[in-house]
Amino acid sequence: MFTRYTLLTVVALFGAPALAPAADPFADTVEKANKKLVKVFGAGGFARLNNYGTGIIISKDGHILTVASQLLDTSELVVHLYDGQRMKAQVIVTEPLLDVALIKIRVEGKKIDEDSGLDLDFFDALTAVRRPPAAAGDWILGMSNTFEIALRDEPLSVQRGVISAYTKMAGRRGIFEFPYTGDVYMVDAITNNPGAAGGALLDKKGELLGIIGRELKNSLTETWMNYAIPMNAKMTLKTTITVKDKDGKDVEQEKTVTVSMEEFVTKGAGYKTPVDKTLIPLGLGGYHGIIFVPNILERTPAYVEDVVPGSPADKAGLRPDDLVSFIDGEPIISIKALDEYMRKFTRPNQKIVLEVRRGESLQSIEMTLGQHPPKPKVPAPKP
Amino acid sequence: MTRLLIPVVAAVLAIATALVPSAPAAPIDVDKSVLDAQAQRIATIKKVHPAIVAVCMQGGQGVGSGVIISPDGYALTNFHVVQPTGPLMQAGLADGQLYDAVVCGIDKVGDVAMIRLLPKEKGKPFPFVALGDSDKVRAGDWSLAMGNPFSLAMDFTPTVTYGLVSGVNRYQPPEGKGLLEYTDCIQIETSINPGNSGGPLFNMQGELIGINGRGSFEKRGRVNSGVGYAISVNQIKNFMGHLRAGIDSDHATLGAAVGSANDDAPLPPVIVKQILDESDAFRRGVLDGDQLTYFAGRPVGSTNNYKNVLGIFPKEWRVPLTVRRKVAVGYETKDMLVRLMGNQDVEKEKPPGAEQPPKGPPPPKAPMPKGSGESAKMYQTKKGYSNWYFNVLERDNLLTAFKKHGDFSTVPGAWVIEGAYKMPDREGSLKAEIVENKDTAKVTLKMNIETTLEPLKQNELALQKMPLGSGGLMMAMYHYHRFLTLGEKGFEGGFAHGGNEPFYPFPTDGSAPKSLASLRVDCAVILTKHGSVNCRWYFSLKDSMLLGFEAYLAKDSKDPDEADPCEVFFSDYKDVDGRKLPGRIEVRHGDKRYAVLTPTKWMLNK
Repeated sequence: MFTRYTLLTVVALFGAPALAPAADPFADTVEKANKKLVKVFGAGGFARLNNYGTGIIISKDGHILTVASQLLDTSELVVHLYDGQRMKAQVIVTEPLLDVALIKIRVEGKKIDEDSGLDLDFFDALTAVRRPPAAAGDWILGMSNTFEIALRDEPLSVQRGVISAYTKMAGRRGIFEFPYTGDVYMVDAITNNPGAAGGALLDKKGELLGIIGRELKNSLTETWMNYAIPMNAKMTLKTTITVKDKDGKDVEQEKTVTVSMEEFVTKGAGYKTPVDKTLIPLGLGGYHGIIFVPNILERTPAYVEDVVPGSPADKAGLRPDDLVSFIDGEPIISIKALDEYMRKFTRPNQKIVLEVRRGESLQSIEMTLGQHPPKPKVPAPKP
Repeated sequence: MTRLLIPVVAAVLAIATALVPSAPAAPIDVDKSVLDAQAQRIATIKKVHPAIVAVCMQGGQGVGSGVIISPDGYALTNFHVVQPTGPLMQAGLADGQLYDAVVCGIDKVGDVAMIRLLPKEKGKPFPFVALGDSDKVRAGDWSLAMGNPFSLAMDFTPTVTYGLVSGVNRYQPPEGKGLLEYTDCIQIETSINPGNSGGPLFNMQGELIGINGRGSFEKRGRVNSGVGYAISVNQIKNFMGHLRAGIDSDHATLGAAVGSANDDAPLPPVIVKQILDESDAFRRGVLDGDQLTYFAGRPVGSTNNYKNVLGIFPKEWRVPLTVRRKVAVGYETKDMLVRLMGNQDVEKEKPPGAEQPPKGPPPPKAPMPKGSGESAKMYQTKKGYSNWYFNVLERDNLLTAFKKHGDFSTVPGAWVIEGAYKMPDREGSLKAEIVENKDTAKVTLKMNIETTLEPLKQNELALQKMPLGSGGLMMAMYHYHRFLTLGEKGFEGGFAHGGNEPFYPFPTDGSAPKSLASLRVDCAVILTKHGSVNCRWYFSLKDSMLLGFEAYLAKDSKDPDEADPCEVFFSDYKDVDGRKLPGRIEVRHGDKRYAVLTPTKWMLNK
């Protein structure tokens, strides 16, 4: 046991200085990744089986990759998004051999196999499964809802460490052997805690490397293991199948079956080709024509600085120094939140009701949104 | 599941030894930016190193950690660290020496305690660290934790650990009896272990951003499992006045249950439920079912948000809040300033004669704390205070600074004030007379109509709160005169430093403030009691000028008119025979301005 620990320590000591950053580059990475992760709530809450865990969003309409635990054994599965929205979810498919499951957010009035109409930030799982594995000594970030510290809009916890080994492991849970026997990432961050399972193992840049595993013990050493199932996980098994021979008689034949994460996410989440999200023009929503005060803080309140002459805001009579507090009854805490609301929930020609604080009073202002004016074209660079 | 980091003497030394790698690494080519970062880190650690405290029992047995924050030896630690030591403890510094120390203020709910170290040579300054701004800390930032985990260092050299901030604005519920509640705290993966309790968390500039105190452990026992918590330094700043003044501080409640309107809704609003009639929030107009949108300047999106904001304030602080309410057409929002109530159950003053005879033998008396003569002299007990000695010290320092603006102890006789007054519905000339001698006490106030009050004879509330609508202006004037001329001698019921509080003078031109938060001025407070009247006196932290006071005639009254104080705001100070006196006095009561008095002539000791 001591030898093993000594080894890990040495790796950590050599790994750290070689890549130690000058400033604090993780805060932005962490903030971005947090939007692509959910808190999962399901079955459990007794006998050290927690009823909370973590999930990784892998499609814009709400496919979520997580660990295939007892948590999913319920019809009341719920996820909390980064912005605090609580949504129902449903299991699509599980793969016990890889210990992963795919769940999907269920939107009211939509069938589970339809496009949910959501537009979420997500990890491109298909790119992730094709990325070469990280190596021992590489830095990692672990993000998860360890100990259920976060609820609703509270961000997940982040840990940092290095990959101690990319190797096979012999795990067990209680008396049960762990079915997955492929390669795993062993890390020196303490991820083996309640609620961490299903969290994201990221590289330094925030790219997805693997899924943080559950609370397993190493069956050789009886120690808690901090591991993650890699996105390129694969399991090969030999099995026998029954086929008909040329005479129509049943015969047994040996066959090798490969179960891979690539196949799992491709089929499960309906991936076709890798999509670069930055290339998709996002719907901008309706146009209001409000010019806000400079948006310098994470939560700059939505104070009107000016309105574009002739714009919907101008017509509706908005004035400088008005504070937009609610849109259609939804609280608007910042310029960012307002932009997001406009993009997600409004369209041109839609009527919205703004509640605006003007001095000491609150005014209800109705506004009909318009079409976004065309943006001046940027000339293409000459070859 | 979380546990406190109280040290255990564990067999960790053996393991620690086994973990040391044996062969030094061969020199490798390292990028300059990496070496620079390392050099900067080492410089930071070196800078803060001498100010780290190993908190010890008398005799030097380690119990936790701490950090010095001022050259005169004030240090922060956890309340749960000074619990086992009692009021007199010792403190080891990185110089290898053990210093005597004494407890000042404590904050049981927030798990913070202030102690003061005594220098070996009188007046010799201690090394100390600067306070940072914990609101600027983000998840993913690097941090340094320092302290004495497992009481490893026999010579008190602090241990350094380095890691990420895992989360900010975290809420961790109280550990038993409502104490040790970590609100708005910083979650770290920086390794903290038993013995790190009370020690500092630094940003990479070496500024103090938190006090380490707690972790989530569960199955591994009480050693680091990647999840630790530090009390944010910005919360501690709110309590700093209380801690320095030796107060056994309490946290606050709004006086209402506040929770999510519907736990199953996608984005439920946070609403007020079951508001107490006796709460200030109720008197200011908060109703059951109101949506709480902003609290103390922060948006409230979830119950944890609310608990985080509430948890960082001492009781009786006044904070702005905004509620939103459905009305006949649409919604209305309402901004108000609300005084927060105490969190801990306060023993109500028992009516005389209701005392129960003690059952069984009396509890054994706590052993008189032993310490070197010097530190034992700096400890005095008093109910409601963790160390009354420091309250007297802070109080008298404040009053001495205030006295620079004028000594009124030499003019104890009758005061006559002449000038003008202005009320919403009338204005005219003002004449007020405050007389107090050994036979009589009398206040006469003439604002067109003459009213008089004899505070010692008239103990009916209805008379005391005259003139009508002022909340007791004459009574307030009587106390003002008493406070300035008599000082401590005039307040038999209590005369104490009350820590620091925000004070909100309204714009003098009577205009509506841009925001209530913008009115805030940070003040030091003196609390007084004479007869049945409680007063809070607000002194600017900048120049110790008296900015105003509040006189409570009947704080616990069910009648809102009686429970609300008469609020007096002083400004436009002028020199009157070498003493500074206000040229403008604004009187407010409830939510209204009662009158503005503009004295032009003060005749003291007539």
